[in-house]
Formats: sequence, C-alpha cells, structure tokens
Amino acid sequence: MFNSLLNKLLCKVIFTGLLTTTLLASPQLIAKGVYQSGPDFIAEVFEPAQPEAGVLWFNDSIRQQAEKILGHRVLGLRVRYHQSGAKTAWILNEIGKEMPITIGVVIDEGKISSVKILAYRESRGGEVRYPAYMAQYQGASLTERYKLNKSIDGITGATLSVWAVNKVAALALYYHSQVVSKPESIK
Amino acid sequence: MRSSNPAKTNVIWHRRIGLSVFVLLMFLAISGIALNHSPALKLNKISLSSNWLLSWYGLEKSPINAFKLNEKWLFENGNNLLYVDGQSVAPCSAPLLSVANSSNILFALCADTLHLLTDNGQLLESYSQMDGLPASTGSIVAAGNTLYLLTDSAVFEFNPHSLDLKPSPEVDRASLNPVTDPQTLPELLEQQLKNSGPSISLETVILDLHSGRFFGQFGVLVMDIVGLLVCILSITGLLAWISRLRQIKQ
Repeated sequence: MFNSLLNKLLCKVIFTGLLTTTLLASPQLIAKGVYQSGPDFIAEVFEPAQPEAGVLWFNDSIRQQAEKILGHRVLGLRVRYHQSGAKTAWILNEIGKEMPITIGVVIDEGKISSVKILAYRESRGGEVRYPAYMAQYQGASLTERYKLNKSIDGITGATLSVWAVNKVAALALYYHSQVVSKPESIK
Repeated sequence: MRSSNPAKTNVIWHRRIGLSVFVLLMFLAISGIALNHSPALKLNKISLSSNWLLSWYGLEKSPINAFKLNEKWLFENGNNLLYVDGQSVAPCSAPLLSVANSSNILFALCADTLHLLTDNGQLLESYSQMDGLPASTGSIVAAGNTLYLLTDSAVFEFNPHSLDLKPSPEVDRASLNPVTDPQTLPELLEQQLKNSGPSISLETVILDLHSGRFFGQFGVLVMDIVGLLVCILSITGLLAWISRLRQIKQ
C-alpha cells in the first residue's frame, strides 16, 4: 500500500519535473534588435525643421575629458552631430557587456530632452530601451565633475547597459557644451 | 510480463534509470571535479583553436583579406578588428571587402561599416549601416576626386566630408575598378596574426559540456532531465532500501 502510493507520487514528480524543465528550456525573450536608423532618428527629432549637420573635432582636451567620462579610449578623430538652434542630437555607441549599444541623445539648452536606444545587440538587458526608464534622463544636465545631475534608477539584470547609457548621456552633454561654447574656428 | 509488486517495480525502475544515466553521471562528476580545480589544472590557460571547434562556436577562421594601400597594409585580423600594419584601429566585421584612397583619406569597407582613416592610418570616423550605409555595399572605388560605393544593384556617389550618399545611375559600373582582390600578407604580419587568432579555453569547453550548453538548448534540456533522473534515482534507491528493511523485519 505504502509503496503503491509512493509509486503514484513518483510518477507525478516525474511528470511535473519534465513539464517544468520543458517550460524552462523554452526560447528566451530576445532583447536585441535595431529599432530605428540614425537618419530616421534625426528626422524625427527635428521634424519639420531641417537640422544642420556638424562635426566636432577632438582636440587633446576634448579627447581626455571624453575618455574620462567613458573610462576608456575614444575611437576616431571626430564625431558628427545635428543642430537646430540650441538643440543638438548625437548618435553614439557604447559597449554594454560585450556588444555596442547605439544610443541617440537629444540636448536642448544644455539639458537632456530625450534619450533613445536605436540598436541593442546584447541578448539580455534590453529593458533599458523602455520609455519609462528613458524618461528618467529628461531634464538631466552635467555637473562640474562631468556627471549627470540626476540619480538614475538601475534595472536588475541590465546594470552594464544602464551604466553605458549613463556614460553616453553624460558624454553627449559634454560634447554639446563644446559645440555651443567652442570658438567658430573649431566648428 | 508486468510486475504487480510495487517494490519490485521500484527496483526495476531504479536499475533502468541508473543504467540510462550512468555514462552522463560519470562525465558530470569528473567534469565537475575538473572545473572545481580549474585554476590548479590551468584549464583556462589551455587554448583550443581547432577549426571544427571554432566553427561550432561560430568563430570560424575566415580567410584574411589584406590590402596594400599607400605603403600600408590594411587587414581584418580574424577577431573582427581592423589593423593598419601592426596597429588595431577599429572594430571591423569580417571580411574586409574593399579599400580606396582619395583626398588623403584611406577608406576600408568592412562587412557592415565603412572606416575613414587618415593617410597615416588613424581612424577619422566610421560610417555604418545605422548611419545610412546601404546593406549590400560590396566595394568602394575612387575615380578621380569622386568616391563611389557599389551595391549589388546600384552605384552611389559618396561624400567623405558630409557622409552624404547620392545615387549615380548614369555611372557605368564597368568603368569602375574597385580594389577587392586581397593580397598575401607579409610574413611578419602573418606571424602576428597567428598569436591573435580566435581560440576557446578548455575551461569554457568543459563548462559548456558540463551544463549541456555545448549542444545548445537541447543539451541543456538533456542535462536538466539527467538532474531530474538523479533525484528519482535517489528516491527509488531509498524506497528499495525501506522495502528491504520491512522484508527483513517481517
């Protein structure tokens, strides 16, 4: 009797276990993808105006500060941006964990107007692209120590992506400050 | 013939499960011990770079496309990095398709990005598919002072200063001669590549075999089932022991 009951229980355990295993092995939610191209992002940001395209060349001081903000070497000798009045838009790449995240940052009057993930290539951590998270960056500006003046709430499981977006937001604010304040000869 | 005795059924299933998971269980035990002592065994220092293993991990050794331009060798090193002579300058998805030289700017077209370099090999900037580079761009060619990007079906005039692309249907493709035929890399640079090619540590391979990830989702599922069967094995073993105790008492 006791053994018969246990055998029935065993069958149930096997069935439940196999079912759970199958469910756990089901395909994971894929976070990666290209959500918007650079030209489409620029057109959307400045619509209906036609922004002017500009180039910020890196001198030693800009490069050093940019590398301090990112915490690693900056590739290239120049970076492109688009401007209309006091509003600038930047499309920058930064590694999350292993792959680059392409991030669009719009700055108006020295404050972040919007941040958008244009392409996310990691398989996990894509929650950073949700509007509710991105909304935190609105109104953020740069402190004297080149950090964001707002505290940004992290996302569990997407820490490195959050750090990457924070760094890019600060970098875009810094680049913006160089564009709006730099002498005409550098422009 | 089916046994009606539950104790006997239990023992039969215990034997069956034990036999079916024996090999995998032995492997799990040995690989687990090896992983626990990985630093002492220096498993992470042993690099494996056999072609089939790299191919299994999606790290095939692609043929190195090297081009000589302005007395400089431009090539992708097999690890998705663009090199100018011995220096890594930018990420570059293999293969390096084509190179060109115009107005003191060197152009290196990788699978999804066009890199603009100074004539001494420093990266100026990159122009990727995210920025508007057509997806099927196969080559870049300089004709006089004009640069053209050639896709499967179209020719575009490319302005390296504004990064603007303009379709040029009037240009005859046959009159353009892009540099797309790779050359043989000098021995010195070839030697350098041998040390920087893709490889996988033995620790990673054992860990992936241990978890089943080596065979993808199917492997993980199998290892999960083995784990479950080991639990059942313990329970059936316990039941067999209890029923034997009862028999002895009776």
